[in-house]
Amino acid sequence: MMNAPVGGAKHQLLPSCSILALLAALALPMQAQAGGTRAGSTISNTASASFDTGAGTTTIDSNQVDLLVDELLDVTVDSSNPADVPTTPGATGQVLTFSVTNNGNGVENFVLSTIANAGGDNYDPVVTQIYIDNGDGVFDAGTDTLYTPGANDPELDPDESVTVFVVATTPGAVVDGNRGIVSLVAAAVTGTGAPGTSFAGQGEGGGDAVVGSTGADGTDAGAFIVSAATVTLVKSAVVTNPLGTADPIPGATITYTIVATVAGSGSVSGLAITDNIPADTSYVPGSITLGGSGLSDAVDADAGDYNGTRINVALGTVAGGQTRTVTFQTIIE
Amino acid sequence: MRTALFLLFSALLPTQALAANQVALANDVFVERVSTDTTGKQRILLEEPKVVVPGDRLVFVLNYRNAGAQPADKFVITNPLPAAVRFADAGDTRPLVSIDGGRGWGQLEQLTVAMADGTRRAAQPDDVTHIRWAFQKPIPAGGSGKLMFRGVVK
Repeated sequence: MMNAPVGGAKHQLLPSCSILALLAALALPMQAQAGGTRAGSTISNTASASFDTGAGTTTIDSNQVDLLVDELLDVTVDSSNPADVPTTPGATGQVLTFSVTNNGNGVENFVLSTIANAGGDNYDPVVTQIYIDNGDGVFDAGTDTLYTPGANDPELDPDESVTVFVVATTPGAVVDGNRGIVSLVAAAVTGTGAPGTSFAGQGEGGGDAVVGSTGADGTDAGAFIVSAATVTLVKSAVVTNPLGTADPIPGATITYTIVATVAGSGSVSGLAITDNIPADTSYVPGSITLGGSGLSDAVDADAGDYNGTRINVALGTVAGGQTRTVTFQTIIE
Repeated sequence: MRTALFLLFSALLPTQALAANQVALANDVFVERVSTDTTGKQRILLEEPKVVVPGDRLVFVLNYRNAGAQPADKFVITNPLPAAVRFADAGDTRPLVSIDGGRGWGQLEQLTVAMADGTRRAAQPDDVTHIRWAFQKPIPAGGSGKLMFRGVVK
């Protein structure tokens, strides 16, 4: 004849608010970190029973069960670039940023590698180096550490992250709008495999190392987007003469119009339009215009100048989708 | 692959001899492993672990027995939860729990935790530090029983 165990009300003893708050604060250090109970630690469980068989209260302990906590091998890789990173054809030193996190419960080294030819994009970036960040999160080849597989595989504590830079060259043959994907792979040095795969005796603290849900390797992709621009120039001429006709007779004025059109998602910088004054014509002083506004012939603050043989208009940086119109005049001698 | 002793849930029996005390309490810990057989059917196996990893589901089983000639009155079993174990549930055994190291006791749904801003939130299984079963009637001579609770390795 057994009695079901009940959580009897007589055992309820709710302490006052202030005492409970203090105790809750004291209990906080018992919380394990996100990576889990540290590999190599022991979980011990013992229960006790108290009872009265007529001779007062007796308390006994149960046997103790000890469980060794194995090392769980888990790692994640995350791209730190919120969007595709702009690049240009033939550019070197193009950087993708990743974060590698040890989600396991032991200290572990991770081998880094990249995959650039997995498809799903327009071209394969050429990975030239991998760098380990010095902690400031900003790529600097002078202060960050060049990574060599097997030589300086980053060692991470449980829950620790490290920033990794993948440096690549963009092939010269790519065109505007092309996308190139590079994936960073981080794999536990102890081993990888299906979740649950065990490496006997290789765990931190003497236990086994067991592959966790991530397979002990992580990967994430970052991408470059080619942002290039092309320039087309169209030149036209209109002749006017004192006779009111369009005949190119001596004394007639030729008005040249040069339209520069920039196309593509990128922009061109340092764009300048230069045109030599044709033979047997003479330049009309002060006739250069840019976008309908006159420019002086002198080399000065405005964009245009005439040096005796050619006109020059410096357009600077022009974004794709924009045009610039330059005109000047000559007189037929 | 380490050697593992697989036990079916239904075959769960006390595996340790109860001591020759008047009242004995035996403690067994199993880990729940889910395996999928060839037909895709999932089975939960209880394995007696030597080692565990974070995330493992543990089943703590307490077998008690009154081997004496007298009834054991005011029978209370207390199990402090190992710090590395997060309480999950205790099946339908309705234990009292403590969230403050064994000072205060109550049903989990009745306990609250003070927050930094002065408000209180309902206690969660995560907060549990001790589990206790208090029997309202004596355990008769020769009586025995089994209690269990589940936890997860943090």
